[in-house]
Amino acid sequence: MKATILEVFNTIIENRGNKKLESISPEMHLKYDIGFDSLDLAELTVRIEADYDIDIFEDGIVNTVGEILKKLEKK
Amino acid sequence: MNILLTGASKGLGLKTTQFLLKKGLTIYAISRSKTENLNELLLQYPDNLKWLHYDLADGVNVRQSIFKDWIGFDTPIHGFVNNAALAYDDLITNLNLVSLEKMYHVNVFTPLTLTKFVLRQMLLHNIKGSIIHISSISVHTGYKGLSMYASTKGALEAFSKNTAREWGEKGIRSNCLVAGFMETEMSSTLSDNQKNRIYQRTSMKQPVDVDSVAETIGFLLSDEAKSITGQNIHVDNGTI
Repeated sequence: MKATILEVFNTIIENRGNKKLESISPEMHLKYDIGFDSLDLAELTVRIEADYDIDIFEDGIVNTVGEILKKLEKK
Repeated sequence: MNILLTGASKGLGLKTTQFLLKKGLTIYAISRSKTENLNELLLQYPDNLKWLHYDLADGVNVRQSIFKDWIGFDTPIHGFVNNAALAYDDLITNLNLVSLEKMYHVNVFTPLTLTKFVLRQMLLHNIKGSIIHISSISVHTGYKGLSMYASTKGALEAFSKNTAREWGEKGIRSNCLVAGFMETEMSSTLSDNQKNRIYQRTSMKQPVDVDSVAETIGFLLSDEAKSITGQNIHVDNGTI
């Protein structure tokens, strides 16, 4: 699952024309460590929803990679 | 190009559907009823015209019924024409909350929800799409009895401008087409006298040509309009 999420992250990063990530870890902050802004996070929501049919922002803000993984594992 | 269009069964929506189909676009058309005219178009364009019976009074099932089950998340959407509307007209002193709420659901709440999922679909497929809300001249020039209706369209104009600002950097555009009074079912409850008084307030002294409005929608959807966003485009015979 982590690998798929990394792929999703890199799609967004590439769309921005930035350098791809080699790996992600649960404690990484989406905004401060990965550099996502609010529109990137919207794109992230949509791409994860397309893969997993779950809206990660539906019940509040998600800050870290770990929080995303937890939501997806719950499903 | 795939275009989602609401209110396709009659009036401006039907004309626009017909016009866009002629241009070779694929239309995902929504309406409450399947009129004879719409049925003819469905037979004429079996591949490019898809139709869904859906009442915009229902804002809850938008994601499931329209985007998941019907269009499908794999289908890119390039344009959205928010055309369907209810016209509840009366003096403000007669305001009926049930009618007003219903109009707000159809004219505002569900179109905003549709925009949410249209934007999501555009993001998913990296589409620099175009959103067009059909507004009304009544937002800009007062008419007796239209205050409540005009308020729903004013809400759309504000929403559209802010949509343009919010999503412009992704190349997504949002505009309002401010239509003047046309000879459609929407204005059929007006008496001839009322209609004539309305037309006399325009520079051209006549009803707005529906084809001209449909053509302008086609233009705003197209790449030729790629630098136009956050605008209210008046097609109103010069109501000044």
